[in-house]
Amino acid sequence: MDLKFSAEDQKFREEAREWLNANVFKERRPHGGEEMREYDMAWQKCQYDGGWAGVSWPKEYGGMGLGLTRQLIWYEEYARANAPDNHLCFVGLNHGGPTIIARGDEDQKKQHLRPILSGEKIWCQGFSEPNAGSDLASLKTRAYVDGDELVVTGSKIWTSHGHLADMQELLVRTDPDAAKHRGISWVIFDMNTPGLELRPIEIMTAPNHTHFVQCFYDEARVPLKNVVGGLNNGWSVAMSTLGFERGTAQIKDQIRYAFLVEEMIKRARDRYGEEFIDNDEFGSRLAQLRADMAAARAMTYMVVSRAQHDVSPAMASLMRAMVGQVQQRVRRLAFDIIGTDGLENPEDDDWVYFYLRTYATTIAAGTSQIQRNIIGERVLGLPRSR
Amino acid sequence: MDLLPSDDQQQIVDTIKDFLRNEAPVDRLREFGAIGNPDARLWPQLGELGFFALGLPEDKGGVGFSAAEEMLAFQQFGYHLVSPVIFGLVLGARIAAFAGDEDLRDELLAGGLKVGLANSRGAAAGPKDYHLLEAEDADWILFVTEAEAGLYPRDAFDGITRVDSTDSVLILERAKLVGSPRVSIPADVDNIHDRALMLIGAYAVGIGEGARDLAVDYAGIREQFGQPIGAFQSIKHICADMAIRSEAALCQASFAALVMDEGSPDTPFHATASKIVACETAVRNAADCIQVHGAFGFTSEANVHHYLKRAHFADMMWGALREQRKRILAFPTPA
Repeated sequence: MDLKFSAEDQKFREEAREWLNANVFKERRPHGGEEMREYDMAWQKCQYDGGWAGVSWPKEYGGMGLGLTRQLIWYEEYARANAPDNHLCFVGLNHGGPTIIARGDEDQKKQHLRPILSGEKIWCQGFSEPNAGSDLASLKTRAYVDGDELVVTGSKIWTSHGHLADMQELLVRTDPDAAKHRGISWVIFDMNTPGLELRPIEIMTAPNHTHFVQCFYDEARVPLKNVVGGLNNGWSVAMSTLGFERGTAQIKDQIRYAFLVEEMIKRARDRYGEEFIDNDEFGSRLAQLRADMAAARAMTYMVVSRAQHDVSPAMASLMRAMVGQVQQRVRRLAFDIIGTDGLENPEDDDWVYFYLRTYATTIAAGTSQIQRNIIGERVLGLPRSR
Repeated sequence: MDLLPSDDQQQIVDTIKDFLRNEAPVDRLREFGAIGNPDARLWPQLGELGFFALGLPEDKGGVGFSAAEEMLAFQQFGYHLVSPVIFGLVLGARIAAFAGDEDLRDELLAGGLKVGLANSRGAAAGPKDYHLLEAEDADWILFVTEAEAGLYPRDAFDGITRVDSTDSVLILERAKLVGSPRVSIPADVDNIHDRALMLIGAYAVGIGEGARDLAVDYAGIREQFGQPIGAFQSIKHICADMAIRSEAALCQASFAALVMDEGSPDTPFHATASKIVACETAVRNAADCIQVHGAFGFTSEANVHHYLKRAHFADMMWGALREQRKRILAFPTPA
């Protein structure tokens, strides 16, 4: 056990901090639309041009070729500098890209990785379907082989920012006769393909907040060479993607929330003085969150430690489940602290918006119930339900 | 940076685990019955194995490992519900070592003395009112505050009255503190208070893990509706929640120990956070463990109640949750 970072790690941290302080976008990030897309792409390009994109990605595809520890340091400094969360780049940076690195062929790597890092291509996810949510493997979107192409027909849903994306990681059923988990393929899908239609879905935060789309595919054609990890092998490829999301992809969020709790304590103290410590309601909730955020950070360090020892990725579900809950508690407390101001949800203030947003944290990337199934069965070894 | 035990550290853990599995199965508490400390016979053996001296520097008569090894050991002590006297021996030896009393130190490290614990009864009682744990016919009583830590003779306490203990395997007394410590050190020589919080956090991690494993084992063998109850999501998810809490508590305990080893000014913050998270974990896991056991869990025939009661003990030592929550808000933002 060891908390020390090497001298090289420290040097990396100082350089990262310096660069971030000088380059972080100061303008407020738009909540939606083309402005948000332009903002996120520009900030990603800025990181890429500065040489800081893809800390743990291979060098030959534009990354820095450094380990997970440096990735952790980068995220810590990123959050500390209050760098904007360019969420449009999330799927590319945390699912699509890492999946192609792990399972893609040389051509796929050459073609797709660099544009993700440079912010030229925005990726989205096409996994869930109207009748395949938690039971992802029951997905029905069909794709048959026609010459050197796949022909896709069906529908995907809960595709975050699908209307702003260029590419999609798409799961399709390529062998309808095989068992449920076989016969699925993981495909790189171009969102400009003819035969694709999108229906925006408004989310609960406020009217006109489009976050999701539903995708309808009608004989949409994809080159066969866009299948990653082999035809009918998509389930295992998809599981490696979810592994990324449940693991290190959460680091930045966790650190950001730790800073938020500190900010809330500071604001509460500024506003109410030392008395707030004696307020059994807000004081005790803030105190418990402060302790829990410390633990969440330690869990993040553990995830990085385990990854270096190749411990089962199922263990990362423990942190994912914890962090999702804590984020909801943080935002709920922030909402409670502002009192009746919470009845107001103005466009230029994020407090209520982010509170409402946290209802997604126990649903996205596998509901907290699915996470608990995974923990129960793969970490604790309990029998599967029949 | 690596939060996992090294091979050497894992070897220490395995040695302690093996020893306690053989010598101190939790069933010993049931067989022993109502009252008394069944672990006194373990002390000379544990002393001989060097387990009281893990975190003490070599030039102070110790094994010369770090707080991390000590944390890992106390995690195992908690897992096996080893008598809280272990805190008296380990921290008492540390006090004697830093006070320069080598004879006392070595006797404590050998497990040859009886050390009880004194704990404030809180503002509702009085400033001089204490609980004494496992202090009957004790040679020494450990008392720790944020300012200093000392070993007191039993006659430093007055009006000692035996009371029934919630944790029925522990001997509990009420007393007033009237005397002074025979051996003591201020916090700036060595901060025993921080270490006590860190170690009771580790101990509580072990209690929580013990309750988790007991529940998981039972859920895997108890059958209803034609299948093990652990196959039902209602039970499985309770067990998963226990695992999530235990992971959080273990990670924070590890972090707290490492921060302490670095001599960081954040040591009291992380030790306090560890105690808060781990004691909540221990109490809630024990409560869930009772629920998973159903009616059996409500009996004294199941071992579950020992975990719940020991978890509450851990929470109450050196300031319970409410007090620790007030303390943690007072620290500056950690690095």
